[in-house]
Amino acid sequence: MATAQPKKTLTGRITEILLSDYFVLYLSVAYVAVLAPFIPTLLAPENFVNILSNTWPLLIVAIGQTFVLAIAGIDLSQGAVIGLTSVVGAMLIAVGGNPVVLGGAPLWGIFLTEQGGLLNGLTLAVPLGILMMVLTAALIGALNGYAVAVIGMPAFMTTLVTMLIIGALAIYLPLSYNIEQLPESFIKLGKGDLISLYFGAKGESQIPRKIIYSFITYPMVLSLSVAFFAHVLLNRTVFGRQVLAIGANRKAAEISGIPVRRIIILVFMISAVCAALASVLYSARLGSGRPTLGAGTFLLDIIGAAVIGGTSLFGGKAKIKWTFFGVIFFVLLSNSLNYMNLTAFQVDMVKGVVIAGAAFLDVWRTRLLRELT
Amino acid sequence: MTAILEFKQLSKAWFGVPAVSDFTLSIAAGALLGFIGQNGAGKSTLMNMVGGIVMPTSGDMIWRGQSFKPANPAEARKAGIGFIHQELNLFSNLSIAENLYIDGFPRKRGMIDWSGMNQRTASLLKRLALDVDPSLQVGRLSPGERQLVEIAKALHNEANLIIFDEPTTSLTPREVSRLFETIESLRKGATTIIYISHILGDVRKLSDQVVVMRDGRLVDSGMTADFSIKRMIGSMIGRELAGMYPPRSMPPGTETMLEIENLSQPGVIEAISLRAHKGEVVGLFGLLGAGRSELARIIFGIDPHSAGTITFNGKILKGGPRERIAQGMAFVTENRREEGLMLDQSIEENLALASIEKFGAAVTGMVDEGRLSQRAQQLSHELQLKAANIHLQSAKSLSGGNQQKVVIGKWKMNEPQLFILDEPTRGVDVGAKYEIYSLIDRMAASGGTVLLISSELEEVMGMADRIVVMNRGEVVGEVSRKDFDEAKILAMAFREV
Amino acid sequence: MNLSKDSISNFILKNATYLIFAAVLLYFGLQSAHFLSVESLGNIVKQGAFVGIAAIGMTFVLLIAGIDLSVGSVIYLAPLVAGLVMQNTGIPPVLGLFVALAMGLLLGALNALLIVKLRIIPFIVTLATLFFFRGFGVWLTDSVPFDFEPSFLAFGSASVLAIPLPIWALAFVTAVAHFILAYTGFGRQIYAVGNNPEGARKAGLSVEWIQARCYIICSGCAAVAGYIWIAQIGRLDAGFGQGKEFDVIAAAVLGGVSLFGGSGAAIGAVIGALLIQTVTTGLSFTGVNLYAQPIVQGIIIFFAVFVDGVRGKRVAALLKRTIRPLNSTS
Repeated sequence: MATAQPKKTLTGRITEILLSDYFVLYLSVAYVAVLAPFIPTLLAPENFVNILSNTWPLLIVAIGQTFVLAIAGIDLSQGAVIGLTSVVGAMLIAVGGNPVVLGGAPLWGIFLTEQGGLLNGLTLAVPLGILMMVLTAALIGALNGYAVAVIGMPAFMTTLVTMLIIGALAIYLPLSYNIEQLPESFIKLGKGDLISLYFGAKGESQIPRKIIYSFITYPMVLSLSVAFFAHVLLNRTVFGRQVLAIGANRKAAEISGIPVRRIIILVFMISAVCAALASVLYSARLGSGRPTLGAGTFLLDIIGAAVIGGTSLFGGKAKIKWTFFGVIFFVLLSNSLNYMNLTAFQVDMVKGVVIAGAAFLDVWRTRLLRELT
Repeated sequence: MTAILEFKQLSKAWFGVPAVSDFTLSIAAGALLGFIGQNGAGKSTLMNMVGGIVMPTSGDMIWRGQSFKPANPAEARKAGIGFIHQELNLFSNLSIAENLYIDGFPRKRGMIDWSGMNQRTASLLKRLALDVDPSLQVGRLSPGERQLVEIAKALHNEANLIIFDEPTTSLTPREVSRLFETIESLRKGATTIIYISHILGDVRKLSDQVVVMRDGRLVDSGMTADFSIKRMIGSMIGRELAGMYPPRSMPPGTETMLEIENLSQPGVIEAISLRAHKGEVVGLFGLLGAGRSELARIIFGIDPHSAGTITFNGKILKGGPRERIAQGMAFVTENRREEGLMLDQSIEENLALASIEKFGAAVTGMVDEGRLSQRAQQLSHELQLKAANIHLQSAKSLSGGNQQKVVIGKWKMNEPQLFILDEPTRGVDVGAKYEIYSLIDRMAASGGTVLLISSELEEVMGMADRIVVMNRGEVVGEVSRKDFDEAKILAMAFREV
Repeated sequence: MNLSKDSISNFILKNATYLIFAAVLLYFGLQSAHFLSVESLGNIVKQGAFVGIAAIGMTFVLLIAGIDLSVGSVIYLAPLVAGLVMQNTGIPPVLGLFVALAMGLLLGALNALLIVKLRIIPFIVTLATLFFFRGFGVWLTDSVPFDFEPSFLAFGSASVLAIPLPIWALAFVTAVAHFILAYTGFGRQIYAVGNNPEGARKAGLSVEWIQARCYIICSGCAAVAGYIWIAQIGRLDAGFGQGKEFDVIAAAVLGGVSLFGGSGAAIGAVIGALLIQTVTTGLSFTGVNLYAQPIVQGIIIFFAVFVDGVRGKRVAALLKRTIRPLNSTS
């Protein structure tokens, strides 16, 4: 069987690449390498900054999703949580309100007035507002988790329905209007730089704003901290081990004394809280509370990024590292599609194909792994 | 009389381990054969070959004069074989008539002939003395009635041979007598019947001939009239197992560890009382469906009980597995793949599953990987795990015996006081079996209590200090080591004392 | 009858939809008697017809314990293709309906292929095709709204025997689906597959082919629903039918079709669709804020899924294997 030998090593090598931790990173590099000659702006520094700024909030959301996927669940309500918490945060910390726009809204007069949000004026208004966003999300996550773990409703259906309700509530509160006039200290969280880069000629007295490239930003710091924390939580702690055990074999986990229900509830809470943290970044970047933040097709980016990274839809296999690469790939994809003169719907179409491809890859990888051992 | 089915040196081996060997038998048309044998004697494997569920390794079956090798259940059914499994195979959301006709509805002018279908089903049900509407949903029938629907299905398929595998387990006495009347009338209608049962009295009452299997072979057969219950039991015992058991190193203690009083759960167990001491290995023996595993699950808090108490170390137990584990219990379930292991995860992760919280730091919950790794390594050594790298190798890659050792090791990490072992040597090779027996001895010698559940009588006799015998969810007897007697214990398990 | 706590809760579980329906009608009726007039109720049926037709298709998929999230996009894409064909060939709207149907069946076949052959999880497949189908349609039209011919609108607003076309269509699809599910071998086999796929395979049924046909039928129904709906409007824009998958799934589940497979009926899905439409109409009727309406609808859907979950648990408990007779002390 001399002829079969090289063939086998080729498939062996393909298998190795497919199963590698860095598969999606290679894929991203290859993607850029192929497209760069056609879209030169792809590698321009300002585009690079753009890509990074889109990476950070999505990374946080996808990390939350990774935890849910790890227990073989799914959370479709994250986008709606982003919208609702954006409204909740904004209505509490706004420094003023416009009665012409929001006067008729249900939240007017209770949470928000012409004098601003309920917390406006307090020294700790912004941290407290963020805390309230997180608590709101935690409550929604707990409800999702309870329905899935205790009542036994299917995860995708439960979160589909909460997405509907939460999303509708987010729009109802301000009657679909954005809540403007957020405090500067909050907005800075979305836009502020810690370190910027300048690539232009030296010796000029004034550098135009345009050519200063943000490098280390608040979103970057926040999201990398979340990623680091999540990485430790999932891979290094008792809790993380238990999460993966539930995904690998829920029955065995139950019999081995793992508090399965409690952990499932906690996992859905983590997912929702991650969405709230991302909402802080998105709202701050926009400088307003927007009820439709995270609505609609944003779902594709979250699930696509998490799944293509290598986290299995069948549970038990998840790494934050994978999700990080998946997010980079997805942001690159969206970014490059923007340069191809496509409509939003066509972009979604491509993303849809990529998700189906990622899911198929998951099926394939699972099968490969099974054959290998 | 002509033979309807012949077995010619039929054999089946699972990965080289024989389940049925050189089985040769001729079954006359219209006969009613009683098939008996201990658990694992090969009855089910043999019948599964007839039913198209398992393919033989070698040998032949001759069905009505022709060589016969059904590739799937549908093929066997078409050939005229009806197989009534213990686990019924019905669609609970469909009507009785639909269950019969699901693979081919009768048509009349292009439409399903509902009235014809219901009429024919009704007449079949009448033959079985089941007085229900054919359009009634199967989900609304009692277990006994569902059993009869399975028979109706076999009749509908015009089966010439019907195999009954333990048909009476979930039936009330009234339903049992109705079933027997049905079988009687089938026999009069010239249907050949194979009746597999652990209830020897029933076999004696029903059958014309008895076939006894042991270790995959036919060991005795003859006319039922010549078969006393004593002869049946006598033929079943004396299995030639490579039964090597380590000597017990310590005598059992006297201090009570586990005390169960009047434990009941409708449909599962009834008024069970049981006591186990420190340093004691208590064997829980019974035939399949005796309720041993069910009792174990209730003791471990996985399934509920409606009455009675479980006292452990003087405390009445409450809550689920988590609480029981905290009290010092461990449970190796009978199906390690579904309930014991995380197959895709590493051996080390599997070993850490039940005790992971003990390796976490107090506030941060960070796993002390070094200590965990060290403990796992040490345990792997103690268990003599045959694995190259417990950190990288998945549990799936291990042999059955080593997988079982991982499950046992998972619990040993917790240093439990009570070990419930449900069929710990099932699917385990002889060498690993001995190692598991040694582990059992060491658990008891160090002051722990072992509740050993097994279908293999020799195993229980070889390892236990005392054997508790169960039948149909009840405790029917108890024997101390000095009084161990194979025939006596088996007779108890068959309720033929 | 023994009125134990169990039997009462079972009764509520079984008839939850009807109880809600009665309560909803009563509530809105008390707000305004006009709500219960023939005209108003007829309008509800007419407006609920589209979701109803699609929900019947969804019933097939739910019966085999599957899911189809792509219906909202099929509702958009299939009529669009039919419109383009009509524009280019000049065939009458009646034939256009068959073009839409054929397109729907084709889209369903694509879903079925990915789910049954490639074994990708149904909700991921249909989530992907949800976006793919719509994107494809937008690409076909360059994002420009598509205007149908005037004859098409005339077709849509036609009435036969004073009953408008959508109601006829709903009645027809309901009758056909009910016939298939209740009276044909294929229909009964769908129930068998949903109840016990392993058993169905053992009984010699071709499980994959049965599943595939359910996805194809689901998309076919969605296509018909979309076609008849757009025939009321005449202008198809890129957002047409967006998010309708929720209403469709909700209608089926509200109508007692279980997400766990094997139980439910076409007529139930129609009742569910009408209930949703009644609530929608009633909320507008009583002047409830437009933005508050989805919240109420969402809560009703949540309740339906909740009831289904509890019911599923009970059924599983009832079918648990016993090793000794129940209610017997022997």
